[in-house]
Amino acid sequence: MTVAEKTRRVRSTQRNPPLPRATAVRWVILAGLIIALELTTRTGLINPTLVVPPSEILARLVSIIPTEQFGLDAARTLTTIVIAFGIGLVLGVPLGVFLWRIPAAGRILEPFIVTGYAMPTLLFYPVLLAAMGLNAGPIILIAASMSLIPIALTTMVALNAIKPILHKLANSVSASPAQYYLKVLFPAATPLIFPGVKLGFIYAVIGTVAMEFILAAQGIGFRAGLYYRELNTSDMWAYIAVVIILSVLVNSGLTWLEKRIRRDML
Amino acid sequence: MSQSPTVQSIAHDSEVVFDNIGMTFDTGAGVTRAVANVSGTIPEGKFVSVIGPSGCGKSTLLDMVGGLLKPTQGTVRINGETVTGPRRDTAMVFQEDSTLHWRTVLDNVAFGLEVKGVSKAERYEKARRMTELVGLTGFEDHRPGQLSGGMKQRVAIARALAMEPRVLLMDEPFGALDQQTRQFIGRELLRIWEKTRNRVLFITHDIQEAVYLSDEVWVMSARPSVVKEVVTIDLPRPRPEGTHALSRFRELEDHLWALVKVEAAKTLGPGAQRA
Repeated sequence: MTVAEKTRRVRSTQRNPPLPRATAVRWVILAGLIIALELTTRTGLINPTLVVPPSEILARLVSIIPTEQFGLDAARTLTTIVIAFGIGLVLGVPLGVFLWRIPAAGRILEPFIVTGYAMPTLLFYPVLLAAMGLNAGPIILIAASMSLIPIALTTMVALNAIKPILHKLANSVSASPAQYYLKVLFPAATPLIFPGVKLGFIYAVIGTVAMEFILAAQGIGFRAGLYYRELNTSDMWAYIAVVIILSVLVNSGLTWLEKRIRRDML
Repeated sequence: MSQSPTVQSIAHDSEVVFDNIGMTFDTGAGVTRAVANVSGTIPEGKFVSVIGPSGCGKSTLLDMVGGLLKPTQGTVRINGETVTGPRRDTAMVFQEDSTLHWRTVLDNVAFGLEVKGVSKAERYEKARRMTELVGLTGFEDHRPGQLSGGMKQRVAIARALAMEPRVLLMDEPFGALDQQTRQFIGRELLRIWEKTRNRVLFITHDIQEAVYLSDEVWVMSARPSVVKEVVTIDLPRPRPEGTHALSRFRELEDHLWALVKVEAAKTLGPGAQRA
C-alpha cells in the first residue's frame, strides 16, 4: 500500500461520521455500568460507605450545583486549570520551537525536560506552599510545569518531523518569518503538536485537582478531599462526578477541535 | 557558447546568465568541488534541460538560480541583477511532493501569490486559471491526500506558473512518477509551456524527456562539473505524439546518451564503461 493510499484511508475514516451503531453500543455500555453500580451498591455487594449509588450522586449534584459554594469552587478550579494550561501553552510552544531551532540546545536540555516529565512534581507542593502561601499560586506553578513539558516536547518532535521539502518551498517563494511559521510550519506540525497540547490540558487538570485535594482553601478537588476526610461519601462522590464530567466534556471538546484543525488551518 | 567572455558579450539584460559559477562544499570530511566554472545563458522563451550523471551538481545549479544556494565562485544574473537570494521572478518545482496537505488544490496553487501579498480576488482568479491550465478543473476543493502523485505535481506546476516567473526552475519534477504518468505529464507540460513560454531550466536524468521537451540540452560532466556540451534540439514545435519516432529524435538521443555515458563512467569508476 502506498503512502497516498494509506493517507486516503485514514482520511476517509476521519471524514466519515462515527458509525451510529458504535455510538449506540457505547451508550449501552455506559448505561449498563451505571445500572450495575446502582444495583451493587443498593444490594450492599459494594459497601455503600465506599461508593454511593449513582442515583444518590445525581440527587446530591442537583442540590449542590446551585449553591454559591459550588460556584466559587468550580470557578476557582476552572480558572486555575485555564491559567496553568495557558502558561503551559504560551511557554511550551516557544520552548519547543527553540529546542527545534537550536538542535544543540535540544540535545543539552532534553534529558532535563524528560526527567521533569517523569518526576512527580507534586512533591514540591509543600515547599511552594511554604514559600508562596495557601493560594492558587503554588497550584498554578505545578500544574503549569506539568502541562508545559508534553507541549514543548511534542512541538519539538513535530517540527523535526516536517519534510525538508516544505522548508525549501517556503524558502523558494521568499516567505517572511511570520509566513514561514504561520502558513507552513505550524499548519504542517499541528497534527503532531495537538496530541501534546491535549496531554498538556489533561496534565493541567490532574495537577490542579490533585493539589487541591492535598491542600487548598477552595476548589473542586479541595471539596472532594474535605468530604473524604469528613467521611461524607455521597458529597465526595458528587464532586468526583463533577471532575469526571468536566474531563469528559473537555476531552470531547479537544477531540472536536483536533479534527477541525486537522482538516483546516487557515 | 560555453566560455564566459563570449557569453557576457552576447548577454542581454533580460536574460538569465551563469557567469563562470562554481560551488564548493565543505563537508567537514573534506572539501568537495561540486560545480566548476559553469557559464551559459537561458535565452528568452527557451526550454533548457540539464542532464548529467547523478551527483554532478545539476540540482546545485538549479538551487543557485533559485537563490537557495550562493555560488562560491562567479554570479548568476537574472535581468542584469545578481541573484543573492530567492527572487520573486523565479519559481521552483521540486521532485518531491511539495503540496501543503492541509490546503485545498486551489489554495495550494494560490500559495506563492499569497506569500507575495497578491490580493485575494486576484490570486484566486489566477489560481483558477492555472488549475484549469494544468487540467485539474473539478479538483479545486480536493486536498492533496485525495490526489495521485502526478496530480500533486500538476498542483506544484500550477503554483509555480501562477507566480508568472521570469524563469521556471524544475528539479526532476517527474522523477518520482511512474513511466506512464511521466510521459503523459511531460506532454502536458509541453502543451502548457507552448501557452506560457516562460524560460525554463529543467533538471532531469531522462535523456528522452530532455530531448522531447527542450530547445537546448546542457550536458554536465562528472564532478567537478562543467557544461560539457550544449546540444540544440532542432525538432520542430509543437511536438506531437509521434515525435519520439522521428529519426532526428533518435540521433539527438544517441548523441546525448554517448556524451552522458562517458561522464557516468567517470563517476561510477572503471568497468562501468563496458555496460
